[in-house]
Amino acid sequence: MNVAAALLVLPASLFGQTVQDPARADSLGRLYRPDVVQIREATPVRDDDALIQALEGKLRCTCGCNLDVFTCRTTDFTCATSPAMHRLVLARIDSGMTAEQVITAFEAQYGQSVLMQPPKRGFNWAAYIMPFVGLGIGMGLLGLAMRKLVRTHRAEAASAEPVAPPPSMSSEDREKLKRELERFEA
Amino acid sequence: MADLGNIALWIALLIGVWGCATAFVGGLKGRPDLASSAERAMYVVWGLLAVASLGLVYALLTHDFNIEYVASYTSRNLPLWYTWSAFYAGQKGSLLFWAIVVATFGAVAMLVNRGKYRELMPYVSGTVLSVVTFFVAVMVFSENPFERLPFTPPDGNGLNPQLQNPGMTIHPPLLYLGYTSITIPFAFAVAALVSGKLDTGWLHAIRKWTILSWLFLSAGIVLGMWWAYVELGWGGYWAWDPVENASFLPWLTMTAFLHSVMIQEKRGMLKKWNLGLIIGSFLLSIFGTFITRSGVISSVHSFAQSSIGYFFLVYLILSGFAAFALLALRWPQLEAEAKLESMVSREAAFLFNNLVLIVIAFSVLWGTLFPILSEWLRGTKVTVGPPFFNQVNVPLGLLLLFLTGVGPLIAWRHASTANLRRQFQWPVTALLVTMIALVALRMGDGWAIGTYALSAFVVTTVTQEFWRGVGARMRLHSESVPLAFARLVGRNRRRYGGYVVHIGIVMLFVGFAGMAFKSDTEATLNPGQSVEARSPYGHTYRLQLQSISQFERQNAFVTQATLEVYKNDRYIGMLKSEKRQHRNSLNENTFEPSTEVGIRSDIREDLYVVYAGSVQGTEQSVFRITINPLVWWVWYGGMVLVLGGLISMWPGGGGPTAASRRRAEPAGYVAQVKE
Repeated sequence: MNVAAALLVLPASLFGQTVQDPARADSLGRLYRPDVVQIREATPVRDDDALIQALEGKLRCTCGCNLDVFTCRTTDFTCATSPAMHRLVLARIDSGMTAEQVITAFEAQYGQSVLMQPPKRGFNWAAYIMPFVGLGIGMGLLGLAMRKLVRTHRAEAASAEPVAPPPSMSSEDREKLKRELERFEA
Repeated sequence: MADLGNIALWIALLIGVWGCATAFVGGLKGRPDLASSAERAMYVVWGLLAVASLGLVYALLTHDFNIEYVASYTSRNLPLWYTWSAFYAGQKGSLLFWAIVVATFGAVAMLVNRGKYRELMPYVSGTVLSVVTFFVAVMVFSENPFERLPFTPPDGNGLNPQLQNPGMTIHPPLLYLGYTSITIPFAFAVAALVSGKLDTGWLHAIRKWTILSWLFLSAGIVLGMWWAYVELGWGGYWAWDPVENASFLPWLTMTAFLHSVMIQEKRGMLKKWNLGLIIGSFLLSIFGTFITRSGVISSVHSFAQSSIGYFFLVYLILSGFAAFALLALRWPQLEAEAKLESMVSREAAFLFNNLVLIVIAFSVLWGTLFPILSEWLRGTKVTVGPPFFNQVNVPLGLLLLFLTGVGPLIAWRHASTANLRRQFQWPVTALLVTMIALVALRMGDGWAIGTYALSAFVVTTVTQEFWRGVGARMRLHSESVPLAFARLVGRNRRRYGGYVVHIGIVMLFVGFAGMAFKSDTEATLNPGQSVEARSPYGHTYRLQLQSISQFERQNAFVTQATLEVYKNDRYIGMLKSEKRQHRNSLNENTFEPSTEVGIRSDIREDLYVVYAGSVQGTEQSVFRITINPLVWWVWYGGMVLVLGGLISMWPGGGGPTAASRRRAEPAGYVAQVKE
């Protein structure tokens, strides 16, 4: 395995390109049973495919599938909503809107639920910060509790009667201790 | 046979109620005759549910379409294997499946512990019977799988095409086994709380059950990921869907328990926490069922929704209240037997590991429920999708990965500076070298760099543990390397099985990080035309549409796209993706056309092709080509994880430690625990 190559990242725009070589276009025929396959529109090749994909990845298809627009329209082929939303994205981009403006326009049209994650403002911040607040509080409480436990242990150990030094061990006892420690570790 | 099954359910309900009552009364009053009656009730309920299950399977296999469930989920031309899997494909059947599995586990727990834990067993049987009886009651009063139709249709509706996949025949039963087997540790925890026998004896009884539950959940989750990947066609395996999250939650708490229970066994600490984790895991498994079935949160995985979710909500609240009230009642008796000696100890590392696991569980639960909360508090609908969960959980996951490596490096009780230096030397070197190498190679994703560097850290940790263990055995016992390795693992299965699990976790993380480099390409092709897709490794795939063919199968009409695949212009094989229009035996279409993806997989990446459909009913076809790096690592990581779990729970080596046995001694359990 070529690890070095494996770890390189290429710009998304380089990932795909249709080769226009319609050598067999003249032999194109109709399917025997077109009624058992979903009928699709031909996908136009655009220079800004990566931008469109990224944008549609942030927008939720409103058909109720829980997927983003790009994933839905390229997965759930019975859905009519995501292709319509795709056309709207293309129209808005073609009208000169920036990606952010497109997102804002969709939010104004459908509400916050059209975004794949809650926008970071107002009450929605609670969604993002609560897990880390929980972690912080947990760390703090755990640290305090552990410090208290360690101090109690030290105080108890200090007030305990001094333990007489152990008598020298025989090699048999030493071996036994070693075995016990191994078992304890296990 | 179906009528017999129906009658069996009613009798099971009555005997379940009897067994439940006699178990608790027998335990509280010290009446062995009642306790014994409850135990027998457990076996009888199991027998009755087995009759009911056989009745449903018989009805499915004989196409008894007068039964509403059979007509809804099967058809005459459904392959036999999927006809069997229809048993748990729908709401009613899955409730019966759940009930029979809990009853089986309950009966096995009774048999295995016969003559042991006499003070606990009445409450164990009572708790298990209460869970089984709840499920039987839901079936009998609301979702009876034997409900008949007023007429008999000539054929059934058939099974949802997405469920007609080999993964779907194994994944739901495994998840159910995981969810249901948590009932046994929960029952022992309740028994310990009711009886007041709160030493480590009950922990010995549930040791293997907890690993078993965790193992089933792990295998079920990974198989569910595989099913989603090959069947749903969206090009990924984990979408942070509410149902996926629901299965992940008890897995997280069980993982936390498997770590923290070691502290209780060795040091007599964390008694309250461990009881809380077991209760929490059980409640989360019921919560998962509530989420799956209530429809309160929409999900692509919910194939069995109805109003019975609210039965589960009530049950969840009542059982949660009862269990935590018991815990509160016994709180003063659950004081730790030892104090923490140092902040730099394995106990402390395990506590942080537990904290991170619980925070991840909280963040998943929080994200899953946030849309409901937002709508309830503000009236604003929001979507909490994968971008949110990734943003929150990736840093927490990396912290957990770090602690996975740290835990085994720190000594129990207290670690000295010299000990830390010796233990961390090589793992930290591996972390730094990997990080520098990846930055030098211009890897573009910081989280992925962090994941791979921490993976190197954990792998070095585990390797070092094996290396030192084998070395110690070779010196002490003059053994050869293979013998020392085999005996090291064989005699400390729990510990070294755990390390194998850690390797599995690392492999999963490596796979997850690979998805940062996923790429999608859309193309419309005529036969003979081709599309190029660039791999993140630098090479180029060229996919040429060879043909579109149509043919009939047993229960579907198939339209198949065949593509030739070239890697850097070298032919490497064919890929086929299909559209299937499923039909019943009367040639009627039963569902919308479904998609079968074509996947070419190797250790580095998957080439994932989806045939999206036809342009105007011609051979001109639309495709999505996805390149998913390192997916292989997820499937094999899952296998390694399960292997490690199996090593840990394999009978023989690695029984309760001497310290743990000593702790059980005052309660008289020592003679009973023979492993």
